[in-house]
Amino acid sequence: MKPFEKYLLNRTTLPNSHTLAVYQANGGYKALEKVLKKPMTPAEIIAEMKASNLRGRGGAGFPCGMKWSFMPDPAKDPRPRYLAVNADESEPGTCKDRVLMEKDPHGLIEGCLIAAYAMKLQAVYIYVRGEYRKSYDTLLAAIAEARKAGLVGKRVMGTDFSCEVWMHKGAGAYICGEETGLMESLEGKRGHPRPKPPFPAGFGLWGQPTTVNNVETIFNVPFIVERGGAWLASIGTQNSKGNFLCGISGHVNKPGVYELPFGVTAREIVDEVAGGIWKGRKCKAWFPGGSSCALLRGEDLDVVLDHDSLRAKGSSLGTAAMIVMDDTTSIARVMEIIARFYDHESCGQCSQCREGTQWLAQIFHRIATGHGKPDDVATLESLAKGMAPAKTICALADAAAIPTLSAVRIFKSELEECIRQAKDPLAPPRIEYAGAH
Amino acid sequence: MTKITVNGREIDADPKKPLIAACHEHGVEVPMYCYHPGLRPVGSCRICQVEVKQGDTPARVVAACRTPIAEGMVVNTESPKAHDVRRECLEFLLKNHPLDCPICDKAGECDLQDYSFAEGQTKGRTHEPRRKLEKRKSLGDVIVLDEERCILCSRCVRFFEDVTKQPQLTVSDLGSRSVIATFMDKPLKGNYQGNIADICPVGALTLKRFRFQARVWNLNKHLSTCAECSRGCSVTAEVLRGGETKRFRPRFNPKVNQWWMCDTGRFAFEHVNAADRLVATRRGAEGLAACDLDEALDGAAKSLRGKSNVALVLSPFATNEEAAAAKALASTLGAKTCFVSPTPNALKDDFLHTGDPCPNRRGLTDLGFAGLAADDAAKAIGGASVVVFVGERVLELFGAERLAALANARVVVFDTHAANAPAVDVCIGVPVHVEKNGHWTNVDGHLGRLTIARSAPRGVRALEENLTRLGQLVSPTGAKA
Ligand SMILES: Cc1cc2nc3c(=O)[nH]c(=O)nc-3n(C[C@H](O)[C@H](O)[C@H](O)COP(=O)(O)O)c2cc1C
Ligand code: SF4
Ligand code: SF4
Ligand code: FES
Repeated sequence: MKPFEKYLLNRTTLPNSHTLAVYQANGGYKALEKVLKKPMTPAEIIAEMKASNLRGRGGAGFPCGMKWSFMPDPAKDPRPRYLAVNADESEPGTCKDRVLMEKDPHGLIEGCLIAAYAMKLQAVYIYVRGEYRKSYDTLLAAIAEARKAGLVGKRVMGTDFSCEVWMHKGAGAYICGEETGLMESLEGKRGHPRPKPPFPAGFGLWGQPTTVNNVETIFNVPFIVERGGAWLASIGTQNSKGNFLCGISGHVNKPGVYELPFGVTAREIVDEVAGGIWKGRKCKAWFPGGSSCALLRGEDLDVVLDHDSLRAKGSSLGTAAMIVMDDTTSIARVMEIIARFYDHESCGQCSQCREGTQWLAQIFHRIATGHGKPDDVATLESLAKGMAPAKTICALADAAAIPTLSAVRIFKSELEECIRQAKDPLAPPRIEYAGAH
Repeated sequence: MTKITVNGREIDADPKKPLIAACHEHGVEVPMYCYHPGLRPVGSCRICQVEVKQGDTPARVVAACRTPIAEGMVVNTESPKAHDVRRECLEFLLKNHPLDCPICDKAGECDLQDYSFAEGQTKGRTHEPRRKLEKRKSLGDVIVLDEERCILCSRCVRFFEDVTKQPQLTVSDLGSRSVIATFMDKPLKGNYQGNIADICPVGALTLKRFRFQARVWNLNKHLSTCAECSRGCSVTAEVLRGGETKRFRPRFNPKVNQWWMCDTGRFAFEHVNAADRLVATRRGAEGLAACDLDEALDGAAKSLRGKSNVALVLSPFATNEEAAAAKALASTLGAKTCFVSPTPNALKDDFLHTGDPCPNRRGLTDLGFAGLAADDAAKAIGGASVVVFVGERVLELFGAERLAALANARVVVFDTHAANAPAVDVCIGVPVHVEKNGHWTNVDGHLGRLTIARSAPRGVRALEENLTRLGQLVSPTGAKA
């Protein structure tokens, strides 16, 4: 792997990195100062964001600058407007936002303030998943510190710019990470995603113009403002720019959250960063970015980890949370666990998703426990095709269908073998969970 | 209005409504479960998928109930792709459905059953047992919920949120564990609960009063108007073979009640289904005795002929047509008139119920009848030599004790039931409101129509006809008698 400059995680290893003092001693709030004191105009910031070609890190990879520019001009549309930061981080395998929130909360806050200034808004909500107690508490303390220092609240740094940053704790539902589910939940309702259109930029939180961004996306903002959009655009591959956080888990020797530039291959990450597959085994299958993208084979590890290359392989970057499975892994068992997750987390509005996720979970459970039927694999495939693409309100149905389709495509013979033998030859010892079918 | 093309036909669509409304208003069928024109669209059931092409982008299959109208959009509701998506959706909806149609009250008017029949497949693919849930959960005095049949369209939830603005139901739990529930299992409240059984697209919500009462294909449905208050909600009167009225259900009327009605009106069968209906009785040597209609009319004419100081007391349920005939009779008889106006009740709310139990107050007033409370009516007719009581339930509303107190008058009655007071000479039967054609004028001046949902008991004729004949018998020339 070529040497590269880190910028996202540099501060996280410092002692007391979560404090304002350490943050400021290491260049913190300089970007905000540049924005407010130089000053930069909101349009200039958005232009830098567009030039950087930063793509959202929440899973969909939408260009961030473009998303910001969808916010209506307040001169024409004077409604209140909001930024909601998506810290619900519930995608299986994903745990990168947590590192930023626990270790470098001021970086996120500074990003929020700059984003608020650029989109001419005065209120930011950070929606943290309920289980992230430490992230929540750390951020809350950091906001209090920043407020005391005149960085959050009325007249930031003594300028005319005012901005509040509020925290909200979710109750542990994956669906509240979907941006419209998140907004419903913030409004105090059940996290039932809304059909789009209308889109959040026109009709978001409380019906007002709203932008939803992932934590890591916002975390990039101060760096882009300080060093320029062109700097970020100089890192990475053609359509994937900058460094990204790769949370790698599964059967590797050193699982963890690593900062990497776009352009490295998955094999480099597994072998050089994560210490290789454990116990000297081989990689059988892997998810490039959380369980909602298509499974890839071990042989596919040479692919470059970026949006275009993974799309060409029939998968996607998702949250860049690699889940690596060795050659003793039972795909039936993996899919059983994943399908159960989506069944558990579907909000239940859409017929295909509510019934489909349950149905997939039931079939995978049967296959994994030796009760598969000859038509099961065909049924799995046709059910998954009935659930996606874009047949439902949100992409959770797709998120359940996509890994299913890939498992059925790539590991068909293994699933059929489980059915034929009426047992899973690779079955690990079973641990039953509450709510299992 | 915006021009769009649906299945090759150019139509004018209302841009304020979603695509599905334009399709329905122009007779193009698109299935729906969660969409209801009276509720906020949520686009969750996903059955209403149609193919839409806009500009140069490739055709897409979208949910018609959440797709806004756009100039020039080309819609194909019957494309193979749209059919496929709907068929898949249907299979998911049936995955856990109990398929207990043979014992389901909704069978015959169930959207899930109808659409499965039209589009569904005949073979199930599931090997799993279906979801086992509560089959008969009471939601209060009006509604029973069958959780297994529920397809979670949330119409019932939105009814209380959007229409009565008093949220009472919710979807509780998540995903395939979702069920419809009230907070802490509290019973539903209010006078509009029955509507959720109407709008439930399946048999999950049924009316306690209608459960297992009739197969809906055995019900004859007729236009009618609710008799319970001066709103006069448009309804259908649904009558079982043999004549028993089994249901009143709201009938869409944009000016009066939209899609809704109150429970008081919905369950007002007591009077229309009452037994022992009067045909005709006449006072003879042995007191009041049954007779035929002609004899009764003769008797009435005899009581009235040559009498001055006659009074005519009309029922608040009289139609405009009946009231006009009564007015003509009154002028022949030189009678003073009024109608009995029961006092307002406590059912008034800010939605439909007006609290005024006279469905035709406005029509009768417009025709010159004054509405008087029973006591005032009794005072107003005090001293009359003959009193003619005219119309459905007039005696009940006037009161037996007041009738008994009419010491010096003779009485002629047109009502559904006979009265036995010394003053009564003749009683002649009348149809109840589901047995006649006519109109009521509601509180806002809208005409509500009544049609014959079932025939009146043999021998009972239309009230207008009898009043006119009586007038002729009293004064063949039509001159004031
Ligand atoms: C079912 C589902 C769950 C999601 N969960 C998360 C999440 O936990 N965190 C997140 O940042 N984005 C999540 N997303 C993506 C968000 O909808 C949205 O695209 C993202 O927050 C936008 O931020 P970005 O543009 O900065 O990536 C989820 C999407 C779906 C469909
Ligand atoms: S796709 Fe699934 S999770 Fe998303 S809105 Fe529909 S039912 Fe809910
Ligand atoms: S009870 Fe009926 S109306 Fe209510 S959600 Fe279920 S199917 Fe829909
Ligand atoms: S009727 Fe359109 S999604 Fe339900």
